[in-house]
Amino acid sequence: MQLTGKQVLNAAPSKVWEKLMDTPTLARIVPGITKLEQTGENAYTSTIQIKMGPVNGSFSGNLQMQDITEPTNFTLKVQQNSKIGNANAAIKVDLIPLNGEQTEVAFDGDAKLSGLLAGMGQRVISGVANTLTKQFFSNLEKELAGSNTEKV
Amino acid sequence: MQIRVKVNGVDYTHDVEPRLLLVHYLRDVLRLTGTHIGCDTSICGACTVQVDGNATKSCTLFAVQADGCEITTVEGLSTNGELHALQEGFKEMHGLQCGFCTPGILMTMDEYLKINPNPTEEEIRHGLKGHLCRCTGYQNIVKSVQYAANKLKKEEVPV
Amino acid sequence: MSTMNGMVGKSVKRVEDKRFVTGKGKYTDDIILPLQTYAYFVRSPYAHARIVNVDTGAAIDMPGVLAIYTGKDVEAINGVPCGWQVNFKNGDTMKEPKHPLLVADKVRHVGDAVAMVVAQTREQAKDAAQMVMVDYEELPVVVNAAEAVKPGAPQVHADVPNNICYDWELGNSKAEVDQAMLEAAHITSLEFVNQRMIANAIEPRSYNAFYDEANEKYTLYTSTQDPHLIRLLMSAFVLGIPEHKVRVIGPDVGGGFGSKGDHYAEEALLTWASQKVGRPIKWTAERSESFVSDAQGRDHVTKAEMGFDKEGKILALRVKTYANQGAYLGTFGPAVPTYLYGTLMQGLYTTPKINVDVTGVFTNTTVVDAYRGAGRPEATYLLERLIDLAALEMGMDPADIRFKNFVPPFDGTNQPGYQTQVALLYDSGNYEGVLRKGLSMLGYDDFRKKQQEATRNGKLLGVGFSTYIEACGLAPSAVAGALGARAGLYEMGQVRVQPTGKVTIYTGTHAHGQGHETTFAQVVADRLGIPMADIEIVHGDSDSMAFGMGTYGSRSLAVGGSAIVKSIDKVIEKGKKIAAHKLEANAGDMEFANGKFTVKGTDKSISFGDVALTAYVPHVYPADLEPGLDFTSFYDPTNFTYPFGCHIAVVEVDKETGKVELKRFIAVDDVGNIINPMIVEGQIHGGVAQGIGQALFEGAEFDSNGQLTNASYMDYCMPRADDLPMFETTNQVTPCPHNPLGAKGAGEAGTIGATPAVVNAVIDALWSGGHKVKDIRMPLTSERVWRAMQASVN
Repeated sequence: MQLTGKQVLNAAPSKVWEKLMDTPTLARIVPGITKLEQTGENAYTSTIQIKMGPVNGSFSGNLQMQDITEPTNFTLKVQQNSKIGNANAAIKVDLIPLNGEQTEVAFDGDAKLSGLLAGMGQRVISGVANTLTKQFFSNLEKELAGSNTEKV
Repeated sequence: MQIRVKVNGVDYTHDVEPRLLLVHYLRDVLRLTGTHIGCDTSICGACTVQVDGNATKSCTLFAVQADGCEITTVEGLSTNGELHALQEGFKEMHGLQCGFCTPGILMTMDEYLKINPNPTEEEIRHGLKGHLCRCTGYQNIVKSVQYAANKLKKEEVPV
Repeated sequence: MSTMNGMVGKSVKRVEDKRFVTGKGKYTDDIILPLQTYAYFVRSPYAHARIVNVDTGAAIDMPGVLAIYTGKDVEAINGVPCGWQVNFKNGDTMKEPKHPLLVADKVRHVGDAVAMVVAQTREQAKDAAQMVMVDYEELPVVVNAAEAVKPGAPQVHADVPNNICYDWELGNSKAEVDQAMLEAAHITSLEFVNQRMIANAIEPRSYNAFYDEANEKYTLYTSTQDPHLIRLLMSAFVLGIPEHKVRVIGPDVGGGFGSKGDHYAEEALLTWASQKVGRPIKWTAERSESFVSDAQGRDHVTKAEMGFDKEGKILALRVKTYANQGAYLGTFGPAVPTYLYGTLMQGLYTTPKINVDVTGVFTNTTVVDAYRGAGRPEATYLLERLIDLAALEMGMDPADIRFKNFVPPFDGTNQPGYQTQVALLYDSGNYEGVLRKGLSMLGYDDFRKKQQEATRNGKLLGVGFSTYIEACGLAPSAVAGALGARAGLYEMGQVRVQPTGKVTIYTGTHAHGQGHETTFAQVVADRLGIPMADIEIVHGDSDSMAFGMGTYGSRSLAVGGSAIVKSIDKVIEKGKKIAAHKLEANAGDMEFANGKFTVKGTDKSISFGDVALTAYVPHVYPADLEPGLDFTSFYDPTNFTYPFGCHIAVVEVDKETGKVELKRFIAVDDVGNIINPMIVEGQIHGGVAQGIGQALFEGAEFDSNGQLTNASYMDYCMPRADDLPMFETTNQVTPCPHNPLGAKGAGEAGTIGATPAVVNAVIDALWSGGHKVKDIRMPLTSERVWRAMQASVN
């Protein structure tokens, strides 16, 4: 399954980068996340609860950031297992500065799905993925807005 | 959880697990096995029963959601040992082969003919959209429903 | 046909319907046995992976769990056997890797079973299965048959080089065909995919097994098409249990379509475990499980070329097919793309030189086996696509080109059968007849005018033809044996006349929608002159009848019906002796008609019922005759039967969206003599719907990781009521000359004929609009048709 998209955020790339690299922040903004532990440099284990149509399960596994070039890009490697199937993904994330105070976050990657997750309608699953992505960015926007407020 | 339901005119009270599907309640607890399970996704329609008169896919409902309801299954379609017009129509017009999807279709069409007693071929085909039949190619199902519609009309002629 | 008491040829309403319309049918999952337990399977989410570890520790302690079995527990048990052997061209036996009941070392397709959990309830079994921890190490995956044979492709089985199960060839030598092609004025060639299909009987597979300790006997209820075959394969080949200690019952079965003909690992596992657990064990597939564990169908990658002279006469046919067998061999698996495919390459035509070459290939996908038609639809699709395309390419009329090439009519009695280039001897046929009838129903004379008019009005109207033949009535045992069958393919029919003259018929065939309880009773009522109400047909219980081969390949009436007729003949012959004795006449002077034995030329007669009673109360009885009136016969056909027909589709294609609308569908089928026209018509309807399904809607879509991406009814598109028009059907009758009923079989005809007719119609519509498209991959979704049109804008 192809995962591509982009979102413009009202913050400079360095601010966005800071949030994305911060474990407690990530634990707040990743939808459905119930556990996030750092296991090494840029590596985490996680438990994520997802309930959306036919996708209903507890996913656990690893998240890893690779090929990090601060503050412009990194690759997120995701390996998540669940009883309804497993997901493996490598997603390249680019932070592109737009007129100083804005950043475009673009992501592009491929997810390998297996089991029920793969069989029960990829068209539904991609909808679920889109919804989760939207939630993630909306949460991130709130975080960025919140951190701005704190500074004022 | 305790539920009270009336199924084919008989009252039942049972303690059930909240996750028990209505179709499993009917089949495993009441042993009314005329209602079948063909898929897990509410697509095939084999599990259709009537809940308070509305054709309902019983695999989409928990038994506890049917608490207080009146349910009719295919076993409750005929009265006094006489076949219902739809049952007769399916036999007369060869509307079934393996028979697995048939009970669900009968329950949907029973409600449908009450809403639309005089359907065209196209309307019947549209009314059957919630059901999958792998044996018949639907042609004789359409004719069976037409047979039943005609029979019910004649029965309704006032004396 | 000659009918004795007017019961044959009548659309008698089905006797089985009452139980089905009142919800009283008994399918396997309806059976709940005392102390019933339930099984649930842990299946692989990966298409290819090494099993590093299976941890059942947490699962075994879950509530209600009685036992958990893994691949290690069944390593000593044989795998599921294959019933047909195909040899390599060099004579080597096909590669037949073990298909284990549960996998211990590595999984080879998504859905491969790794463990079985048995618990008190269905929910407990499912909960515990979720706690079985399996560590996998993923391996590279191969899905496509043509890719799998390439050097360096992932190896599905370590001991099967290049994943090749067999390579096989039939017909004239390649050199002869090459030579004939050199003389061709035109060669039509087509590279195409016959996509993978999923049978999708609405009843999921279901099994319920128990062990009777006192009698040391196993019983298995199974949603199968062939209970005796399951008993034979399971007891003798898998579990090593004596056959007489196993009873297999196939109760009401909710559709088969070939996929319920296989012997499945779950059947053997439940039977085996029921003795260990000491309680009955039931398993019913969830639909998502069916999608990855039921045997699937078709899946060929083919290149075919047909050479013509300048008048349109076929000179030669060359076929190369890669047939996907899936990860393991199904019960009939290797026979389908060879003996049921290559042998049909003659079609209805006089093609003088034919070479067909098939490579059977293992891939990381679910097992491929028989699906309605099995091999014959693939052959028909190939031939009928080629000939329609050739007509378009050569500017000829698709009907004319067929008339030019048809084998002339022959009845198989006064004229000999037709010997094909590909091993078969056709029994009887009138191929021009069905096309003529079809053209007249269509009103072909006007059609091309309407098509031109449609083009002027900006519409794309098309007509597609398919004139098909199939080999049914499986099968003469000696021929089947020579072709690699590991069983005979005769059938058993027993006629038990009860003392009161009522009759119980036991047949080794199995009905799962075909209406045998009605059709067979009509045959018996007709021959014995007794009412249908006095006859009961019993099928599907290995303890009730001597043996049986089950139902597939449109064989039941032609083979099973003939076995019953043989037994009826024996009943009448013995009845004559009893009647003659009672009437003090010679048996040779007796005749039997209308349910009465009469001394020829007199009015002295005795009824069938009286003779039956005398047979069981033999007070006045021939001294040299045994009491009783009960005969069992085995009928082994002398040839296959060859139904044929003409299917015509009319479609309109939307220029803007590529959407195909099926406007008309005409089917003229010649299935030999017909016992019950209503039932035959129903079989044709259902078959046609599935054939149209393949052309327009259905197809398994595996991604490159071997994941089936449309593994639910939400995603796998089957025809619904409003997708189909009213079919226009009729028959022509050319009796089968070699069986007593003259019947040829009707179960698969619709599926075989329909698919190419629909696709040809779409291609014809596109050509009428100037889009010279050769092929569109099935199913012909709007998107694919639209893309094909865009790619061919002239």
